[in-house]
Amino acid sequence: MHKLYTFLKYTFITLWTVFIVAPFLWAISTSFKDFQSVNSKVTYIPWLDFEPTLEGWRVLVKSPARGGVDIVEPYFNSIFVTCTASLISIILGTLAAYALSRFTFKAGFVRNNDITFFFISQRIMPPIVLSIPFFIFLSTIGLLDSLFGLVVVYIVLLMPIAVWIMVDFFNRVPKELDETALIDGCNPYQAFYKVVLPNSIPGLIVAGMFCIIFGWIDFFFAFILTFTEVQLLPVKVVALNSSITPWWSLSASALISVAPLIIVAFVVERYLSKGNLSGALK
Amino acid sequence: MEFIMAKIELSNISHTYNPSDPNPTYALNPFSMTWENGKRYAILGPSGCGKTTMLNIVSGLVRPSKGKILFDENDVTNLITEERNIAQVFQFPVIYNTMTVYDNLAFPLKCRDFSKEKIEERVKSVSDTLRLSSFLNLPARKLTADQKQLISLGRGLVREDVAGVLMDEPLTVIDPDLKFRLRRNLKEINEQYKTTLVYVTHDQNEAMTFADNIIVMDQGEIVQVGLPKDLFERPKTTFVGYFIGSPAMNIFESEVSSDYSVKINNIEIKTNSNLSKIKDKNVKLGIRSEFINVAEKEGQNTIKALLKRVEDFGNFKLLTASMGDFVIKSKVNREMPIPNGDINLYIPPEKCCVYINEKLI
Repeated sequence: MHKLYTFLKYTFITLWTVFIVAPFLWAISTSFKDFQSVNSKVTYIPWLDFEPTLEGWRVLVKSPARGGVDIVEPYFNSIFVTCTASLISIILGTLAAYALSRFTFKAGFVRNNDITFFFISQRIMPPIVLSIPFFIFLSTIGLLDSLFGLVVVYIVLLMPIAVWIMVDFFNRVPKELDETALIDGCNPYQAFYKVVLPNSIPGLIVAGMFCIIFGWIDFFFAFILTFTEVQLLPVKVVALNSSITPWWSLSASALISVAPLIIVAFVVERYLSKGNLSGALK
Repeated sequence: MEFIMAKIELSNISHTYNPSDPNPTYALNPFSMTWENGKRYAILGPSGCGKTTMLNIVSGLVRPSKGKILFDENDVTNLITEERNIAQVFQFPVIYNTMTVYDNLAFPLKCRDFSKEKIEERVKSVSDTLRLSSFLNLPARKLTADQKQLISLGRGLVREDVAGVLMDEPLTVIDPDLKFRLRRNLKEINEQYKTTLVYVTHDQNEAMTFADNIIVMDQGEIVQVGLPKDLFERPKTTFVGYFIGSPAMNIFESEVSSDYSVKINNIEIKTNSNLSKIKDKNVKLGIRSEFINVAEKEGQNTIKALLKRVEDFGNFKLLTASMGDFVIKSKVNREMPIPNGDINLYIPPEKCCVYINEKLI
């Protein structure tokens, strides 16, 4: 029985791994192909099936004037917008979440849970509902087609995630921890940043990861709120497509688009597995 | 203002957790109490009787719905916890996970800007008492649950100038042997530094051995405050009689038969209480099983009862006898010969407590 279970478990894990990894291998292989290798017959292994070329990768860094598409600038734009918006969302979201977790708010029939739900409800409607208001808003304050405009919009999108995750996290940190800090001589602000915050690093990391992922992969707002001045990576990658689909450079750009997320995942996984984040109290 | 070793006075305090309710339920009914500086108090009562609420009110974590708290005549009701200079230890270990054991113990002193030398000296002294010295450089989260609780306790004791140390069942997770030693250590700390210690517990033995004064609470009400001996011999209500002592006090439904005697099951029992002013004839007679002796023959104040069970506890024997519907328990010396069948139990008048409406006369 136990052996069967182990067997099934490993079979499933293997299948799943193949399912996840195969597209990546395919993309890696494709990124080194040329037109001939993609379109003539099915090829898999470089040198054996086809002669690898770096052309697909070179196009990505060449300036448009020399026939390239230059995704370097959009790449750094994306990093800047995602990181700035995530950081601000985490800071504001954590403060809001702490307040919602520890203090009781009353305004008419509105209670803490209603406020938390209000934050989350920002993500319930389809993004298209927000597109026109955001467009008008950014054009009014003159931030259309700019990095800062995108940062503002992304904060609106990411903060609900941060609030939601952190409220749940703080609710699981016993209030005795804050109370002990108060008794030990902290004022309420010190209790928050000296005691509660260091204990909340696991939650902050999870919230940060979600913010980075959702910020990084957004195409919709990056597409409708920018034109020529500023471009983000997802938009630029899609723009690579033309009458002849350049599968090789699309594969290469897809790979370097996911690369940061893979790195983040590995770093966080290391940190999680060290056990630093387990068992907050007791 | 620093409150160092203050007299703590609770004046007309009451508290409800749902003040907006038109008929709020009170976690604490109005009461007044004074905790003298340097004494040891135990708050004893079943779960949910308001013990923790009372501590939280004193430390400032909870603001009372009504009433005032005075430290040495100064009104501190509106001061926040940080300004009250109180130490409090909770029932379950609360540690600062991200710090080492040393930093955990030093935290209360660091927050109050003590000098480095003073911090070192205090942490050393406290960690020696609690046997934590060998763990000082470990991350606090690596310790076991009872060691973590020792850290919590240590943080409560590390400041020697506090107005009071409030402990909310602090030894629940500690093993019995260490528990015994720690209670003695707490007593020594109290004697040495004259720190007021307030100790919440639902364990009467803990309360009896630890405290100068015991406060018995039930359902948000302070039922009796007194020395362990008073609580044992003269419980003010039948609740205290039941709650304190093991086994609980024998309590019999009875009728007043004369100015100094009651009748149980038509047997006249003399008491030392003056019953002449009682209008309601139905009273209850309470007597500790420790004070009931086996008599050789029938006589004044003896009850003839059928012996049901004898339990040997090693240092004493517990007899359970019945007389009609009444069950009588008596604790006797273990060497004492116990007859079979009917026995005569002597009830000393000076140890009898008479209760009317559950209150002592």
